[in-house]
Amino acid sequence: MSWWLVWFSRRGPARYVSHLDTARALQRTVRRAGVVPALTQGMRPRARISVVLPLPVGVAAREELMVMEVDDESTALTPLQMLPALRAAGAGGLRVEALRGVAERPRPVAREATYRCRMAAAASERMAAAVAEIEASAEVLVERHSPKGSKTLDLKQYLIDLHCSPVDGGVEVEFVLRLTADGTMRPTEVVGVLAQRAGVETVVDDLERLQVRFEGLPDDSQEYRQDI
Amino acid sequence: MASNGELRDALPDALTGLLARVVRPGRYVGGEFNQRRKPEARPRIVLSYPDVYEIGIANPGLQIIYSGLNDGTSAVAERAYCPWPDMAAQMRAARQVLWTLETYAPVRDADLWGFTLQHELTYTNVLEMLDLAGVPLHAAERGPTDPIVLGGGPCSANPLPMARFFDAFFIGEAEDRLAEIVAALGAPARAQRLDRLAEVPGMWIPHTAGSSARRQVYMGFSESRPVTEPLVPLLEAVHDRAVIEIMRGCTAACRFCQAGSWYRPLRERPVETLVESALAALRSTGCDEVSLLSLSSCDYSGIERLVSGIRAAAPTARVSLPSLRVDSAAVVLSRLGDSQRGGVTLAPEAGSQALRDTINKQVTEAAFDDAVTAVARAGFSSLKLYYMIGLPEETDADVTAIITMVAAALRQVRETARGRLRVGVSVSSFVPKPQTAFEREPFVGEAVISRRQRMLRESLPREVKLSLHDVRASTVEATLATGDETLGETIEAAWRQGARFDSWTEGFDLRLWQAAAAGTGVELGGAPSHATDRLPWRIIDGRVEPAYLEDERRRSLKGEITPDCRHGTCPACGVCRDDIVMDLAGQR
Repeated sequence: MSWWLVWFSRRGPARYVSHLDTARALQRTVRRAGVVPALTQGMRPRARISVVLPLPVGVAAREELMVMEVDDESTALTPLQMLPALRAAGAGGLRVEALRGVAERPRPVAREATYRCRMAAAASERMAAAVAEIEASAEVLVERHSPKGSKTLDLKQYLIDLHCSPVDGGVEVEFVLRLTADGTMRPTEVVGVLAQRAGVETVVDDLERLQVRFEGLPDDSQEYRQDI
Repeated sequence: MASNGELRDALPDALTGLLARVVRPGRYVGGEFNQRRKPEARPRIVLSYPDVYEIGIANPGLQIIYSGLNDGTSAVAERAYCPWPDMAAQMRAARQVLWTLETYAPVRDADLWGFTLQHELTYTNVLEMLDLAGVPLHAAERGPTDPIVLGGGPCSANPLPMARFFDAFFIGEAEDRLAEIVAALGAPARAQRLDRLAEVPGMWIPHTAGSSARRQVYMGFSESRPVTEPLVPLLEAVHDRAVIEIMRGCTAACRFCQAGSWYRPLRERPVETLVESALAALRSTGCDEVSLLSLSSCDYSGIERLVSGIRAAAPTARVSLPSLRVDSAAVVLSRLGDSQRGGVTLAPEAGSQALRDTINKQVTEAAFDDAVTAVARAGFSSLKLYYMIGLPEETDADVTAIITMVAAALRQVRETARGRLRVGVSVSSFVPKPQTAFEREPFVGEAVISRRQRMLRESLPREVKLSLHDVRASTVEATLATGDETLGETIEAAWRQGARFDSWTEGFDLRLWQAAAAGTGVELGGAPSHATDRLPWRIIDGRVEPAYLEDERRRSLKGEITPDCRHGTCPACGVCRDDIVMDLAGQR
């Protein structure tokens, strides 16, 4: 058995499915590639594959992290063969970008996530003013409603960085959120606050998670990258 | 890592705007594993299952035609499913026409649009899809640039209620007619294409006086391979496993069963082909479970060799059977081994032996007891028992017999189950279907069904999960199943009133159908006027002789059993003749 860190991107059709569907599609990708995942013990064994940080529906991503344990005896691929096989087995915009074999079970913890979104027809001056207003505020309260009830969160507790710049036909906003054991802000909530303060419609054309900063990643490892 | 440019979606901007406003946007974007893309190929064919994506993507028939057209002909086949009402509303507001999941191109630009009609409660969804695509509802109103709209699937056993909306129906199994259909679409003008399609065996053209058609049987089935590279969705569908079709047809001759009549004769694929195909399907889908599909998989001649062959070649894969025949379930389950996961379904259909004889369901109580014990010992987590009520000759005593039978099964489960085994009972309402022995039987009616449902609700043990079909939907289904071409007006009126997704609890609204029926002079659930005359669907030759069906009906009244023809006694149904014969390739 061997443990692997797998970085993948999600775009195109795959960005419109849920976190659970993404995880299931990644399991299929692994099996289609001829990589045999190790199974958990018990009455209902499951593949030892987990996506570290859930991706909301509609959000594209550049370098997400998955952890998997591989049954080496049943897998007829060398580590160098695994990456092209995984890439060929993907579908719908799910693409394995890189692999790293690690000596023991990794337990990565996500600490920060960077997002970028394009907002169509958003007036850039108004959006810049909204960004400045949020930066200057001591707290920015956001109501979150769910079937379990409502709660109020302070965006400033989670917002590490926020800036915007004009692009063709709209505005591009980039922000970094702190991820804590108690949760974080949803990227759509950040966009909603901005849009509300700028007085623009909140429909987002393109929301993308650019990067996630993890702690707990081992460095005694061999990394396999191959551009195809 | 991927560059920013690579991360831009290939989806058109017009669609991404809609996707942000609907639930489950993954329904509308495709991207499945094993998707075929032939954007330059012609003719362009769109295939549709008129229900929501998660239901439609799991339909094996559509998968067969999709791979057959894309892999075996010069044509390209793409797909579209019925948008859920939230998306339909967004599309209408944005004037966005229905698109295909492969290229996001308008469906209406296709040369041919094929619908598989699996049951009558999807009919209004066909109209919804035509409308959303910008294709005229009525075949008579379509012009030279509109696609030819073709119907198929088991509902073509009686295509008359939907005739006004379709340019043509293909009757039967299309696998070895696909090349002819594609060739016909090579004609330069729509009218010529339709003329050439009319020459394809099995094609019924509703708008040609005196047109009739004979059901086509794919006799290359046994030599062919099942689909081993099926579409696998990114989002969870109703069935999350690889599927291989091991056998087509059924010899059990249940008198209510349309599929049992419509897919005769029985044809099996050889064990070796199926073991190889199962492994290929597991590889191409990334699934860890393969389901052996047929109308009655326990009856497959080589079932034990097949299951053990797959288990030997893929020890970690699970093998499942979609339905178990009660009389052979015990034996087959013992071969499947211990620690089975998930659920299993047994279908005694009726509670009393007398009623089971009436419907020719050859299940004895001893066989049922053995099957329940085998399920309990095999380690399944749930057992579903399937019954029908409203059957011909049924009395309240037969419903009481269901209650007794379930209670006994529950006791048996408690005594023998290795772990927790949930027992569920699903009870549907009998709806008479064309081309069956009960095609002239009336629908028993809402009052009787409701009373018997109440009996079940009040008397079944509390720990049994009971699910009952909505009798109001069954009433509409019965009306549509045995109707003639005049019902098209009622279907259209119901759709115009807002009827959609009639097979969904949240979609079905009886008031819309009542208004449509009242406006068009139809009595919902009433006995059709042709019940004692020549049946309107006799324009479709289903190959099973009407005289045989009549005889079966008479035998049912006397409680006479018709033996399984697999075992040598031919009941002379009329299907096996010339080169159409039963093929028990699983024995080889």
